[in-house]
Amino acid sequence: MSAPPSTAKPRPPFPQSEYYSAFFWEHTKRHELAIQRCDRCHRYQHWPTPVCRHCSSFDLSPAVVSGRGTLYTYTIAMQSFHPYFDDKVPFVLAVVELEEQPGLKMVTNIVECAEDEVTIGMPVEVVFEDVTDDVTFPQFRPVRDAS
Amino acid sequence: MNGRRVAIVGVGYSTVGRRLGVPVELLCAQASVAAMQDAGVTPRDLDGLVIHSFVPEYVSAFRTADMIGIPDLGFFSSNADGSAYSMAALIGAAAVASGSTDMCITLRPIMQSTATGASVERQAAESFVSGPNEFLAPYGDISGAHWAGMYMQRTMYEYGFTEQMFGALAVAQREYAVDNPEAIMRSPITMEDYLASRYINKPLRLFDCDYPVDSCSALIFTTEERARDLAHKPVFFESWAMGTVNPGDFNLVESMPRSSTYAAANRMWAKTDLKPADVDITGLYDGFTFITLQWIEALGFCGEGESGPFVLEGNTRRDGKLPTNTDGGACNMGRRHGANFFIEVTRQLRGECGERQIPGVEVGAVSNSVGGFTACALLTAG
Repeated sequence: MSAPPSTAKPRPPFPQSEYYSAFFWEHTKRHELAIQRCDRCHRYQHWPTPVCRHCSSFDLSPAVVSGRGTLYTYTIAMQSFHPYFDDKVPFVLAVVELEEQPGLKMVTNIVECAEDEVTIGMPVEVVFEDVTDDVTFPQFRPVRDAS
Repeated sequence: MNGRRVAIVGVGYSTVGRRLGVPVELLCAQASVAAMQDAGVTPRDLDGLVIHSFVPEYVSAFRTADMIGIPDLGFFSSNADGSAYSMAALIGAAAVASGSTDMCITLRPIMQSTATGASVERQAAESFVSGPNEFLAPYGDISGAHWAGMYMQRTMYEYGFTEQMFGALAVAQREYAVDNPEAIMRSPITMEDYLASRYINKPLRLFDCDYPVDSCSALIFTTEERARDLAHKPVFFESWAMGTVNPGDFNLVESMPRSSTYAAANRMWAKTDLKPADVDITGLYDGFTFITLQWIEALGFCGEGESGPFVLEGNTRRDGKLPTNTDGGACNMGRRHGANFFIEVTRQLRGECGERQIPGVEVGAVSNSVGGFTACALLTAG
């Protein structure tokens, strides 16, 4: 329970691969965004849980999604609440709504975008940050017209 | 509401301050004794206790009752979920209404460290982050101030609100606090001061945030019959309701500007003949300023998207249409996690607020939380 030594480079708050969510991080390692989907009613839900909140089915599977969505909201995080973010503030913390289903949202960071160019409603696409050999975080950047 | 009519007959606070360095049990005892003294009752009059406290500072209802000397509990419950003090309040009120207890004390102890640096850092600094944090902490979504910044941004986007509209609430609340000897922040502030306060998570500023403290708050509820024999003119629960939405995580709710505040408000109004126009005074949760604005809309005191101009026009001030958070709110009273609104509105309905008393108040509304889970209640002077 002791805090990391002050001289060590702080590690990020790593995701824990739990029973229901291990697939998520296995897919991100392969640079894929996979969202839990119900085999029966075909609705998505995030984050993963044991049961479909729509039809009560326990038959849930990972489904790779497009990685495209729109920015629902964001904030410019100015204050670090964890040593890992000490040299990262200011950064953009955001909620993105994925295109696969209305209201299907995930928390993420917006990257490759100047702070004053971040706008609610802008199209975004997933990009993967390999934090360590074992952990990859999905983040989002603005969709560039050129692509 | 079904069941017996429920009266608020005693209110009390513990000592309050920053990092008091005392056990939470002491604060619970102080608040309990203060509320009993206010009501003119002893532990032998009580037969119910409900306490709300989040993990890791969970406090046992049974042990608290044992400590303060309640001889026999007909009903007790420790709640560690949902909308803070209002959970204890609504559970306690429901228990009195149902006949499970005849006199119930409800408590909300809260320690500054629960919500500030040390604890947040301790939770997030673990190498592995469990539960929903698995999908939040990697992105730096660690504090309530993070989702708060995102709620405020979305509210400004949908409704065209300006920073000044939130600032107007902060300034108005401080005006009340100046007249409240129990408030902690009592120096007047101006809009310029608000706009000069630093961003925590832009557009959320320091002055949009409540003030973390160590404290405990307590209220005592009983039946109308018992209330008529006690020290103060009783204040009655006219209606109450919780509300939730699904998905319910703060970050993932379908609508940040129209969260479960609307569910709770609609349910509360469905259980009374009173209307928003009947309300004289409100205590609307201000863990962050935008929450108060959302409640003003959800409870129907103005239309959707109109709370910003409503506040900017001065309507929450002493001479406005809807005096709000007349104790200074949690921004100035310190984070009592909802209890201060119940206490202040009770005192206003009794007419004992001195310099800050709003004349002629008979109906008050109180509320707690935002996002996935919320609660609100309507109180009337007896």
